[in-house]
Amino acid sequence: MADLGPDDVRRLAASLSLPLNGEDATEIAHRLNAFLDALAALDTLPLEAAEPWPTSPEGYV
Amino acid sequence: MAHQPRGLCVSTAAEHLAFASAARQAALIREKRISPVELVTIYLDRIGRLDGHLRAFITVCSESALAEAERAQAEAARGAWRGPLHGVPFAVKDQLDTAGILTTSGSALLKLNVPTEDSTVVAKLKAAGGILLGKLNLTEFALGGTLRFPYGQPRNPWNPEHDPGGSSSGSGIAAAAALCSLTLGEDTGGSVRSPASYCGAVGLRPTWGRVSRHGCFPAACSMDQVGPLTRTVEDCALVLTLIAGYDAKDPTSSRRAVPDYRATLGAGVKGTRIGVITELVDGAETQAEVRGAVREAARGLAALGAMVEDVSLPLIPHAGGVFMALCDSEAAGRHKPWLSARADEYDAGTRRRLVAAGLIPAVPLHRAARARALIREQLLEALGKFDLLLAPTSPHPAPAISFHTAPVTSKEEAARRFFGRRSYTTPASLAGVPAISVPCGFTAAGLPIALQLMGRPFAESTIFAAAGAWENAAGLVDRHPPIAAA
Repeated sequence: MADLGPDDVRRLAASLSLPLNGEDATEIAHRLNAFLDALAALDTLPLEAAEPWPTSPEGYV
Repeated sequence: MAHQPRGLCVSTAAEHLAFASAARQAALIREKRISPVELVTIYLDRIGRLDGHLRAFITVCSESALAEAERAQAEAARGAWRGPLHGVPFAVKDQLDTAGILTTSGSALLKLNVPTEDSTVVAKLKAAGGILLGKLNLTEFALGGTLRFPYGQPRNPWNPEHDPGGSSSGSGIAAAAALCSLTLGEDTGGSVRSPASYCGAVGLRPTWGRVSRHGCFPAACSMDQVGPLTRTVEDCALVLTLIAGYDAKDPTSSRRAVPDYRATLGAGVKGTRIGVITELVDGAETQAEVRGAVREAARGLAALGAMVEDVSLPLIPHAGGVFMALCDSEAAGRHKPWLSARADEYDAGTRRRLVAAGLIPAVPLHRAARARALIREQLLEALGKFDLLLAPTSPHPAPAISFHTAPVTSKEEAARRFFGRRSYTTPASLAGVPAISVPCGFTAAGLPIALQLMGRPFAESTIFAAAGAWENAAGLVDRHPPIAAA
């Protein structure tokens, strides 16, 4: 997937009513692309075997 | 008042007392060898001399602390003891509510926020006789990555040009530089353990559910946990004993009985099975000095009788990215109304972090939620074989403050800065297991290095026994930051 740029980020943010200035948009694009890469890498794991339970230590023992 | 260590070296005696453990100070008060007023006065003096530079405190409760100390002194004189912390001054991260006292969560957005009720943990420490000395600095909303701290730049007492760690920055500084007897922090992904590591203090993330979060401003509710930051393992055990337990005001708190964690401190590590996580000790990000100190500590624990061997947990390197996606998306949802209406009042670092997470699409986020379960499963499986897992708390010592304030120029740099080191502390957060950070050495430049011990859910006693044994063997407790002695 191609990286998102500052203009993409501005459009996405506007759709959520989040105002962005120019400096923010550039860094947010880097951060969001880092997230998307890291989460795409998870596709190599056997995710279907894991139910997405949140933390629940009482259930462990 | 019957304080005995008098003479020409008054400042040395005060220094010595300031760095004593809270447990020792409490014993001295019981023995009437020091008074609560004397102890509070010593800390107020140190805060006055040192905190203008270190910026550990957002609010110092001088008048109320002295008034409480006088009351504690009068009670002690007639033998009316409130509890194990009678007359002992403590300070808490400004994320924890305190009745009638400004509570900012480190943000300008809450610069006028004065709660009407104490958080449960603060109420418990007060009930044990503790005296609230002040509220401690933190990264904005306990999220990390603050560029401009609204209440002053917190600095590492070992080198003020370096980061003290976060988000419980002030808690780490105040414990290490002896600005109070003990502190509380809050750990979502390492926010107690990181400042403990960078500042050379002891910090515990308890099992998720062990301690009430009532009155704690949430960072990410599914992983937040309040924990102690202290100068010794014994103090950590003492504080956990006092703050743990069920709270009807927090439905996620556990109903399990709370043991006296200090009672088993002397159990040692003979026969304890410890797995050394190779992905973290030997990982490419782990600096050589850190690797060397942690490997040396593992050998030290083996010499004390532990059964130590390497263990591979291949999912661990994913933990940082998974944690950040889950934590930050929770936080982004919580902050959405303020982000829409008051965006300019946030620090730019916090705002960028929250907005970026708010834009993660649902499908990748769901992947992260499933990956959390896989990482938890792998960690718990290892904890079925081992009693404890050992790793560095951080891959490097405290970085320069300027490292955090430099602009982010690429996605690769974003991943390195925001995900990489978090893979060291977030596995315990994702799994909900307890973990402690204990000093294990110093770099050539004099910055602290720390090891981390993770345990099974609700097995804090095992952690304390091993950490205490290591602390005794390492003999690092008496090494104090140079700035604190200035």
